[in-house]
Amino acid sequence: MTEPKTIALADSLDMTAAGPLHRELLEVRGQAVTLDGAAVRRLGGQCLQVLLAAETAWAADGQAFEIVNPSPEFADGLALLGAGHLAPPGFAAAPFVQD
Amino acid sequence: MDPLAAIRETFFQECEEQLAELESGLLAMEGGDRDPETINAVFRAVHSIKGGAGAFSLEALIRFAHVFETALDEMRSGRLAVTADVLKTMLRAADVLADLVRAAHDGAQGDDPRAAALADELKAMSGAAGEDDGGEEDWGDFEFKPQLVAFEAAPAPTGFLVRFKPRHDLYAKANEAALLLRELSRLGDAQVELDTEDLPPLGELDPEAAYLAWTVTLNGDTDETTIREVFEFVDGDCELEVTPIGGAPADPPAPDFDLSALLARVSDGAADDAPAGDFGAPAADGPAAEAPLADASVVELPLAANRPAPEPAAETQGLGGHRKSEAGATIRVDLERVDRLIDLVGELVINQAVLAQRVMEAGLARASAVAMGLDELEQLTREIQDSVMAIRAQPVKSVFQRMPRLVREVAAMTGKPVRLVTEGEGTEVDKTVIERLADPLTHMIRNAIDHGLESPEKRAAAGKPAEGVVRLAAMHRSGRIVIEVSDDGGGINRERVKSIAVERGLISAEAQLSDEEIDNLIFMAGFSTASEVSDISGRGVGMDVVRRSIQALGGRITINSKPGKGSTFTMSLPLTLAVLDGMVVSVEGQTLVAPITAIIETLQPKAEDVHSLGGHARVISIRGGFVPLIDVGMALGYRPEPLSATSGVALLIEGEGGARAALLVDAIQGQRQVVIKSLEANYRQVPGVAAATILGDGRVALILDIDTIVAVSRGELRKAG
Repeated sequence: MTEPKTIALADSLDMTAAGPLHRELLEVRGQAVTLDGAAVRRLGGQCLQVLLAAETAWAADGQAFEIVNPSPEFADGLALLGAGHLAPPGFAAAPFVQD
Repeated sequence: MDPLAAIRETFFQECEEQLAELESGLLAMEGGDRDPETINAVFRAVHSIKGGAGAFSLEALIRFAHVFETALDEMRSGRLAVTADVLKTMLRAADVLADLVRAAHDGAQGDDPRAAALADELKAMSGAAGEDDGGEEDWGDFEFKPQLVAFEAAPAPTGFLVRFKPRHDLYAKANEAALLLRELSRLGDAQVELDTEDLPPLGELDPEAAYLAWTVTLNGDTDETTIREVFEFVDGDCELEVTPIGGAPADPPAPDFDLSALLARVSDGAADDAPAGDFGAPAADGPAAEAPLADASVVELPLAANRPAPEPAAETQGLGGHRKSEAGATIRVDLERVDRLIDLVGELVINQAVLAQRVMEAGLARASAVAMGLDELEQLTREIQDSVMAIRAQPVKSVFQRMPRLVREVAAMTGKPVRLVTEGEGTEVDKTVIERLADPLTHMIRNAIDHGLESPEKRAAAGKPAEGVVRLAAMHRSGRIVIEVSDDGGGINRERVKSIAVERGLISAEAQLSDEEIDNLIFMAGFSTASEVSDISGRGVGMDVVRRSIQALGGRITINSKPGKGSTFTMSLPLTLAVLDGMVVSVEGQTLVAPITAIIETLQPKAEDVHSLGGHARVISIRGGFVPLIDVGMALGYRPEPLSATSGVALLIEGEGGARAALLVDAIQGQRQVVIKSLEANYRQVPGVAAATILGDGRVALILDIDTIVAVSRGELRKAG
């Protein structure tokens, strides 16, 4: 088995990032993937859509799909959007710095 | 253009529409209209501008719109009486709002001192002067509770179930679901549940579309209005349902007229099918009504996704449905596309004419199947052309609407009270004509107030009411649009006009001029009757510029002035700049087109009616009067010697100012609609030639500029005489 492909997520997962993220994920479809969320400062609804669809796709392919090192803001963003399950367990949500 | 800039541009376009709506509403109210829908429309316009401004963080605009909106709300709720003074302030506020919008459009973000002063006036009016300066914090004053009896009788809800599903537009307008959820979670203890039901497989997913929905259970000390305010700026761009839980009344809170609901209904989201039914939906629903009030049942509440969307017809308030049909009835199209279409249809018309000519040349019988088919094609082409032209046709309202403000400003500057009366705002004309009307109209109205109307003292002395009236009217008349600007002032002071013209060397002191000719002197370049150049009209733009811009549109301008009664400027313009009904004539082997609108009649000159004045100048006697006879071939330099009058045909035409002349041509070929091709755009301006067209046989024919031909030959006539 090959090493899971690692993708470093962009710092701002807003509407402009959804397209590139979508393409990036489609390119690595079929192999295990690890998304590194260390740099993420904000998460928007459209990137979340891509992540959720990817999660389902990888599950259907029987491949591993994992988000690691989520920044506190990323973990918080996931929780806020009701998708806390995407973050690895044990990552407490931190206050979202937004203003 | 990057998407955000495009959205921003759309926002400003919409702002212009809202501003127009705002002003016409306020003016209608000034005219006595007390229809609640008018007040609502006015409120809605300001509200929409505020909403859009919020999305782009245009602070100055938001602040002012907010204060303005608050005052309008007071008016709407009846707490602020609609008086003439209040409306005047509102109109000035509308002007300031328009300025702020334009400033924001140009990227200026500074504070306008006028805006601040007017904001204070508005606040004083709405009784909010003592409160803070209109930050977001006081948006809560909107809350108004006329029907709260029903609410108070029922147990207060312990929380709310908020279902929120963004549409594509929400993201496209640079709003973000996460921020809205963040705001929502600040209102209390929020539990967010994500609904991924509509999420497609990764491969089919459009990363810029919107698929997710959220259900937030919000417990805490809040109310529906506050919750809806979170979504205020995305109203129309998302589905939103707010359902009270734990103590919600089983009966729908009857005609729930609280502001947020009203906003939800009236707010002007982008044209889309906003099922504004969201607020009407909740409590009336069977399961909700049957459910025990215990909060345990809350999770069982059916969500919008699981049940048919509420029918618009089920809305108790028809307004949402009304807006819906309105929104579906129009589309916004890039003007370039329409122009391209018009151009293509023009080509089609020419092509069809070419084809018809070929069929004629081929000697096919009129009744042959080909010829018949061609006739049908011609019909269709005509219809297509008319329909395409109709796309470009717009009511002159868009220009007329700018005038009340101008009148207010000029009135204030000159100290003359003025009332503007507009008529025929719905008269339609091609968009290019409308766009190019704004400048001449602006100038004429300025002139009418500054030069036309007398000072209040003089008016009083003349027994006229102190308030002057400027009338702006539009009407269709024989295939043209006629626009009149009239004032009830002192009329043109002909003595003075003449002496000034002499002073400036425009005419000789001995010249004998008719009243009409004197009036027309004001159209001469460099003429200004104001003894001192005033701030308003004297901006280096004279009536000559007005006349030139009207002529450039293929129009004419005439004056009718009565001493002591006032003056009327009448502009007659073609409905479109794309086609022209013309008389096709031959001159020295050339085919020319004379605009039919200028032609009064055609006649065969008789030898005894034509009189030579020496040189090549001739006049022709028509029913006892003499008019100059102009040989078009000579005027355009096609022939060195004039055509014998009896061997040609004369077109009796009426030029600018009603002056008549007879144009002598060799023969008349017929009458036909021609597609105008600009000569200036493709070659350069040629004196005596207005434009060109392509005929059925593919040859280019020049369209005569009758006024220039007449003016030139008149000058020669004078020299000869």
